[in-house]
Amino acid sequence: MKQELVQPYAYVALRLPSDATIVIQVLPNTTISIGKYGAFQANNIVGRPYHLTFEIRDTVTGDGRAQSGLRVVPAAELYADIKDEAPETPTEAEGGNPGAGGDGVEYEIVGQNGEVVMRTNRQILDDPNSQIMTMDEIEAFKAQSTGSGKELIAKILESHSALDQKTAFALAKYTLRKTKKYLRRFAVLPLDVPTLARWILTDKEPMKIMELREEILSLIGSWSNVHCTPSTTSLDGDGVEVKGGRWLVIDETAGLLVASMAEKMAILHPPDEDGLEAECKRSSNHEADTINGHDELEAPTTQDGAAPHLHDPRPRKASRLGTANTITLIHANAQPNLSLLKYFHFDAFNPPKSHPLESHLRTLSWLQLLSPDDDLGYTEPEIASEETIQSWKSGKRSNYYRKRRRWGRIKTIVDETRAGGFDGLIVASVMSPVSILRNTVSLLRGAAQVVIYSPTVESLVELSDYYSTGRRTAFLTNPPDSNLMPTDDFPLDPTLLLAPTIQTARCRSWQVLPGRTHPFMTGRGGSEGYVFTATRVLPAEGKVEARGKFKRRKVDGDMARSSSQQGNPASGGSGTIEVDTT
Amino acid sequence: MAISSPTQASPFLHCGSNSESDSLAILHLKRDLLIPTVLRSHDDLNEGYSEGKVSNTRFGSFPHSTLIGVPWGSQVRASAVDTGSRGRKGWEGKGKKRKRDEDRQAQDDVAVEEKLKPEIEPKAAVDAATGFVHLLPPTPEIWTASLPHRTQVVYTPDYSYILHRLRARPGTVLIEAGAGSGSFTHAAARAVYNGYPNVNTGDSSTGGSLAKRWGKVWSFEFHEQRAQKLQEEIKQHGLDGIVEVTHRDACKDGFTPNETPASDLEANAVFLDLPAPWLALKNLARASTSSPLSRTTAIHLCTFSPCIEQVQRTITALRVLGWTEIDMVEIAAHRIEVRRERVGLAEEGLRGVNDSPASVDEAVGRLREVEGRSRIFHNEGSEGEEQAAAPGPAQVSKQQRLESIRNALEGRKLFKEGRLIHKAEQELKTHTSYLVFAVLPREWSEEDEKLAQEKWPAKVEVRQEKNGPVGRRQKKKEAKAKAGGNKEFEMAATTI
Repeated sequence: MKQELVQPYAYVALRLPSDATIVIQVLPNTTISIGKYGAFQANNIVGRPYHLTFEIRDTVTGDGRAQSGLRVVPAAELYADIKDEAPETPTEAEGGNPGAGGDGVEYEIVGQNGEVVMRTNRQILDDPNSQIMTMDEIEAFKAQSTGSGKELIAKILESHSALDQKTAFALAKYTLRKTKKYLRRFAVLPLDVPTLARWILTDKEPMKIMELREEILSLIGSWSNVHCTPSTTSLDGDGVEVKGGRWLVIDETAGLLVASMAEKMAILHPPDEDGLEAECKRSSNHEADTINGHDELEAPTTQDGAAPHLHDPRPRKASRLGTANTITLIHANAQPNLSLLKYFHFDAFNPPKSHPLESHLRTLSWLQLLSPDDDLGYTEPEIASEETIQSWKSGKRSNYYRKRRRWGRIKTIVDETRAGGFDGLIVASVMSPVSILRNTVSLLRGAAQVVIYSPTVESLVELSDYYSTGRRTAFLTNPPDSNLMPTDDFPLDPTLLLAPTIQTARCRSWQVLPGRTHPFMTGRGGSEGYVFTATRVLPAEGKVEARGKFKRRKVDGDMARSSSQQGNPASGGSGTIEVDTT
Repeated sequence: MAISSPTQASPFLHCGSNSESDSLAILHLKRDLLIPTVLRSHDDLNEGYSEGKVSNTRFGSFPHSTLIGVPWGSQVRASAVDTGSRGRKGWEGKGKKRKRDEDRQAQDDVAVEEKLKPEIEPKAAVDAATGFVHLLPPTPEIWTASLPHRTQVVYTPDYSYILHRLRARPGTVLIEAGAGSGSFTHAAARAVYNGYPNVNTGDSSTGGSLAKRWGKVWSFEFHEQRAQKLQEEIKQHGLDGIVEVTHRDACKDGFTPNETPASDLEANAVFLDLPAPWLALKNLARASTSSPLSRTTAIHLCTFSPCIEQVQRTITALRVLGWTEIDMVEIAAHRIEVRRERVGLAEEGLRGVNDSPASVDEAVGRLREVEGRSRIFHNEGSEGEEQAAAPGPAQVSKQQRLESIRNALEGRKLFKEGRLIHKAEQELKTHTSYLVFAVLPREWSEEDEKLAQEKWPAKVEVRQEKNGPVGRRQKKKEAKAKAGGNKEFEMAATTI
């Protein structure tokens, strides 16, 4: 679990009144600007809890200097507007008042016969000049005001000449629009995987994460069965280490998928942040003092945690790698793209040793997986004798050890990956899923889950077709020579995956306000996002005949109309091959 | 798998490489036909099978001796089991007959758990000629698809998203009210699991000197029978210690488990699947001493209600109680069918196809043919034989045509013919429930704020017009301040 207080150097998400999110790193003793809403001092949010809403107000200190301070906005104040328009409690009490229904809708005009008529916009003439305040006036007022922006909004509303003609709905909308524009408030949210995913999708670059929506990301998490496998023995202890909880990933979402998995496996957040209660009490003022007092102190960020272990000339134990609860990433380029992990203080090129991902995430390229001997990193560097090593200068010596260590790590990772036995395969890649499965299905243990994400459905439809019941039946009745696989007819062995299914999910957001509850009017378009799931199975040796109730369809008049039945659903059964016997 | 306490390890969390006796396993018959069964090598109840415990399915009978100790994911052949002549001793009183009557529909899909007299050695199973299943370890997804329904089930797309938004992670303490059939319970247990609390782990990477926070699901159910049933399942599934089921009405009696004071729960996530969640919310206030909520963390909450009126009342209550980031969504999920669609005259007479013309050309060709035939028919009377031989190729009867199409079927690769299409599954769940999310921030008092201000003093911005030597520290500070971009602030500051 993440710490509950904003830590110095942490990345946090700020949600602005406009509902936009920005992500910043909280560097102590700096000023953080949030565009038109103003600026504030980082120290005003460090050490404070997440999920609070702050209001920027400019104050003047004793010696006459301006300072922008923050005020925590209590929840009651956040909903003040809503309650104003929500006559729910009073109407319930008043009961018989015909002017207000129990549903919270405001009926404002009573007709001749006493019937209730809702105010409409029928009488209103559209006039762009109904707002008297000009932009310059607003800017001037803004510059003088020190408050939260509420006065400004009040003034703008006041200056609207046709305000009294607006319906309740229009007025609420108008107020909301002005609030979003001028209210100087923001909420500080922890930058965890859900927040990060949402921020990149809506505010940053959706293409970078293959337009992976949250509901799909969570679906991937469930179907892949990724979960924490706590090691029951110490990693460098003598005991037998538990193997298990090993997942294979192909991630081209810049590391979002890896981060999401790591979070579920409890290896995303450094251990000192992990599962400790009352963290704030333990960390004394010492930490703050060092940061405040000594500027030489380097931030524990990824940029500068580098130096120490590179210059350490001593040979290090090659296998610091954990064997349980691990993620193995296969990448298509020479280096993996895990840039989003920087928000969790992990740099794949220069992993900080204290980070759990360092020992639980291993990366290798497709070349290293499929043809390791062609990869230079896999070739063993020469072993020098002890005397030779001693005769070298320290630079050469450390270089030698570094090379040996690097090779050791690569060799361990490659050999271990090629040995297979993974608990699941998760793919979010622009590469053809057929080619990925051709090379990875054999690395999975029986009952391992296969989950493939694609922003569009076509590639998954093609993949499903290769596992269709009809194709599997053909494969079983007339198995091709295994040396000739893959053939044109069978690009993949259709017997190795069970119950291939494509699914999708979409989340629809609603506005819930008294009397004004409805789904939001706009949403994000773009890729729908689909997930292919299947289970790796181990076919029995020899020929297996299906049994079952062979469906005997009525052969009557509407046979011709039942157009599409022959093509089997991609799902198919395992126990039976649904043959139509007529 | 070598787990330090194998009796406890849940097959949901550590399934090992091979199936073991006395653990839950799933017989996968078809995608939507999954039979959960507990594997038993021997059993004390006598159901008269000479092979020991047997699961009977529509695809054959499976003595458990053939299912135990095989790698998970294996395809297992059915065995030839004599289901007819076995003794019926011990059959009565097991409630199974009644169940069968009630549930006649699924009669042949229910794994009838038949047992053997312990003193008789089980006979070795003999492979049957046909039939097989795949043996899978349980996962929350499979369990959700196969569990015995007691109430409306929270399905995978919903619970995935809920757990995601609740920030349910290893170490989270989650309260669930309205456990129902237990699908959410199992998924939540997987999400929060980070070890069994009473197993002493020597893991140096997470322990530290402070006590580790164990993930836990506190589950409340006001229906006594359902609570009991769930409790049994949790025990059978090895989730004891991760899930704690309490029979209690959370709305009326609050969130106090049987043996733990509510204040010890320290929950940081709450899921309410109740008819009236707003009634339970008052028991989730921080102020009371018996609050089950953690005092040092933010609390994430989700309620699951099918009706909009419930949502409105819930949200009004949440606003009054000071919850923030209130958000309501619904999840629409569907599966997609992929199939091949074959259209054309060449498919005439075959099953599951559309045998109307596939193109205009085909249609015209067929029309010509018909036209030709009728011309012959009309001309037959007058000019007779000489005309009949004239128009084009030899006429084939419909019967002959169908015959030849049927014969050609043998050599065709139907699995790659036709057009590959996809469409949504036939039965859609268009509405499950509305999900309301909210966050209760950690309490932050004036004193807390004061302490924080002392620890992190907000410095008065130093003006630029500083003359004389500037120290390295000063320079760095300025650089940092610039990186933070303090233009606005300065603008605001100068105008005062």
